[in-house]
Amino acid sequence: MTRGEVARLSLVVFIFVVIQETVMLDVRIRGVHPDIMVLLPIVAGIIGGPARGATFGFATGLVSDLFLPTPFGLSALVGCLLGFAVGLATIALDRTAWWLAPLAALGGSALYEVTYGALGSILGQPQMLHVALARIVVVVSVTNAVLAIPAMRLVSWGMADASTEGMPTSDAGVGAAR
Amino acid sequence: MPRRSRRPRTTLLLLVLAAVTIITLDARGGLHVVTSGVRSVASDAFSPVRSGVNAVVEPIGSFLAGSIHYGAVREQNQKLQAEIDQLKMQSAESADQAEALRQLSALLRLPYLNTLQSVPAQVTDFGTSDFAATIDINVGRSDGVQLWMPVVGNGGLVGQVVKVSHHTATVRLITDGQSAVGTRYGPPPGSLAVVNGTGPGKPLSADLVPSNTPLTNGEVFVTSGLQGALFPAGIPVARVVSSHTGDTASQESVSLVPESDLNHLRYVSVVLWGPSA
Repeated sequence: MTRGEVARLSLVVFIFVVIQETVMLDVRIRGVHPDIMVLLPIVAGIIGGPARGATFGFATGLVSDLFLPTPFGLSALVGCLLGFAVGLATIALDRTAWWLAPLAALGGSALYEVTYGALGSILGQPQMLHVALARIVVVVSVTNAVLAIPAMRLVSWGMADASTEGMPTSDAGVGAAR
Repeated sequence: MPRRSRRPRTTLLLLVLAAVTIITLDARGGLHVVTSGVRSVASDAFSPVRSGVNAVVEPIGSFLAGSIHYGAVREQNQKLQAEIDQLKMQSAESADQAEALRQLSALLRLPYLNTLQSVPAQVTDFGTSDFAATIDINVGRSDGVQLWMPVVGNGGLVGQVVKVSHHTATVRLITDGQSAVGTRYGPPPGSLAVVNGTGPGKPLSADLVPSNTPLTNGEVFVTSGLQGALFPAGIPVARVVSSHTGDTASQESVSLVPESDLNHLRYVSVVLWGPSA
């Protein structure tokens, strides 16, 4: 990873944190606010493949944990699992297809929220399953599906040297979805 | 040429191990000082950014809302509708200001605080996570606020400070599933019980209430203030809304609602009190 890429990705993460901690916290849909930080490992998984999705999910999860009252490290754990899973699930798909990001965001966000609640509960926070989980899943998944394409463009810009894991050799020189 | 990661599973394994290690160390206290310090620094550093962005975003939101409203006004009767809107706005503002004044005035004379000192605070955010019942307030270490200090509203106990930075703090509400408050109920000296949160928007429950205890609806549970307790004695916590004993249960099943209206909090007071006080 080059310095330029680190700088660009840091800027992307900063933009996401600012939007999440200002605009999104004020948006309440039936008591639930969207969580666009979940989008980062998802689109990173699509663009960079399982390893980079996991790494980016871990890093952005740690950043999210700075602002959350839930256990420190939990977002990082779920983020790296999600980035890896999305990278693996989309490895054989055409990553330039326009529908891939919204679809992955829809399914990935739902998976993230359920896993987050379940793992939190296992790790000594049983109250994390005593919330309106279905409502959280619907709100977060739908808003992330809507915002997936702009998020994909931003992260693509950040990941200048996106990996070609799983991509057909003929596409390798083209890079990931831009 | 683009790089190709050859060992994604190894990477994942290492990251999972790192995350589990962080969670474990944080939970066991070994890393908690570090993580809470980092969180505090992040919160302090981000606070001006948040304020700046809010200052920019809010007028845009108001402008967009006004534009939408303007279209509807022109379709009906521009002048008449504008007057109605103005009157409505005045009425809403008056009600809003009256409510703010009521909450602030009530905070000035909380009978249950006695001689305890407190710091008034404005609620700035309702929960940064969908998985926890918390609020953010605009006072922090610079105002004398420390971790685990009780927070009260005009009706009673609101929660406890669980995260504090220089100018802000996060309060875990008593409805959060992690919250457990030692209380007393019944005629003096009172029996002991623990009031637990069961999740945002859900009623509280009480533990340690023996079966067939005669509880009346509306009976108030107050903080016990036992030695080493997390709250000073005598702060109203919650009011009984229902109670019953199952056929084979050894405990009464008690449902309570918080004395403070946690859904409409605008101002609270942080009690400058710790278990060692």
